[in-house]
Amino acid sequence: MKILLSIITIASCLSLSGQQYLTRQGTLTFDAGSPLEDIRATSNSATAVYDAEDGKLGVQVLMTSFKFRRALMQEHFNENYVESEVYPKAVFKGLYKGNKAIGTLSIHGVSKDVIVPAELLKEGNTVCLKASFALSIEDFGVGIPKAVASKIDPKAKISVDCKLQAR
Amino acid sequence: MKYIFYVFSFLCSFSAQAQEDDLFDVFEEEKPRELVYATFKATQLINASTNETPGKGVLQFIMAHRFGSFNDDYLYNFFGLDNAQVRMQLDYGITNRLNLGMGRSSFLKIADGFVKYQLLKQHTGAKSVPVSITLHSSTNYRNSRYTDGIDHAISDRFSYMHQIIIARKWNRKLSTLVSPSLVHFNMVPTSQDPNTSAHITLGARYKISNRTALTGEGTLLSNRKFANGEQWTNPFALGVDIETGGHVFQLHIANTRAMNGPYWMARNPYSAISGGLFLGFNVSRVFTVSE
Repeated sequence: MKILLSIITIASCLSLSGQQYLTRQGTLTFDAGSPLEDIRATSNSATAVYDAEDGKLGVQVLMTSFKFRRALMQEHFNENYVESEVYPKAVFKGLYKGNKAIGTLSIHGVSKDVIVPAELLKEGNTVCLKASFALSIEDFGVGIPKAVASKIDPKAKISVDCKLQAR
Repeated sequence: MKYIFYVFSFLCSFSAQAQEDDLFDVFEEEKPRELVYATFKATQLINASTNETPGKGVLQFIMAHRFGSFNDDYLYNFFGLDNAQVRMQLDYGITNRLNLGMGRSSFLKIADGFVKYQLLKQHTGAKSVPVSITLHSSTNYRNSRYTDGIDHAISDRFSYMHQIIIARKWNRKLSTLVSPSLVHFNMVPTSQDPNTSAHITLGARYKISNRTALTGEGTLLSNRKFANGEQWTNPFALGVDIETGGHVFQLHIANTRAMNGPYWMARNPYSAISGGLFLGFNVSRVFTVSE
């Protein structure tokens, strides 16, 4: 009986660990450009974690990991808009359910409940997470000066592309 | 039996809780090495150079003005505007670290060329680097005619400045710099006077909002007096930085008027106490030439 119990315990441990997926090299792109200005950035170091058993899904990205084509734009993004030194990361914590990611998104010190379309595909030991959606910059308390308002799309398009490995 | 069941369910919920924490724990493990950006808003603090250089492929244009002094017929000269000195600078970011530029100043009609290289960049996190170190050298050529009646060789007109700019961003608001510098003039008034003088510039900026900052700088010098009686004062300046997109406006008041390193550092004759103060501004504009 004792042996059986311990086998069950070990087996459940194993199966549990087999159900979690993780990447630290996820791709996240951000596009708030307009016809007047090209404002795009990509981060290739987003962390994404998924638990296949209970559907828990989390994505995190460091604001400073976003690379813009123009150095000055990148500096302004960090310094004047998202204030990376005070709010270093954007975090999503929630669940994946029926082609949707449901949970809390925290950016720039503001947390909001969001439901966004997402796609999770399981292929062997990897899980592909893909999502694209738009966020209102204002909702997260990021101010846009009037002088540049025409250059920035108030609805930033975000796309997520992560390959998570079983761990 | 009931009791055991409760304890068991409690433990279960506890373990479930722990498990939830575990999943998102991966978010907390990250403390990557990060570059400290925007130690200063511009490549110049006021007169002093900062550790910053324009990004790769960025062309920068700086227009600088130094108005007339308060003690020189201030109102007659329309607040010093009528005898403003001008310097224009064009520089380019060859890489994210290397910067080449040139300038022309109406002060003694000086033309200059400079090179700036970011040797070390401040980083936080793993393998952190506490300071940024930038090397900066300029060569300055005086085009202005000499009035001493001597036939000067071309080499007499050259002066040089070499400096190491050590900067640190302490937090999002406060950044400081310390720049030990050497200035060399090919010509000095008498043979007893040193051609080379040592200087140390101390500077700081304090951000008062996302786009504005207060700035200040002062420079100590090794040689304040020439054998012929000429005396040089410690230059200082106080200013405000205002950033709007691709522009940085720097408005300031200083006891110096020249805009080339060797001249404002080592050849500053003005004294603030006797009204030798000048309003001035630098305006920079950047253009991304190649991406």
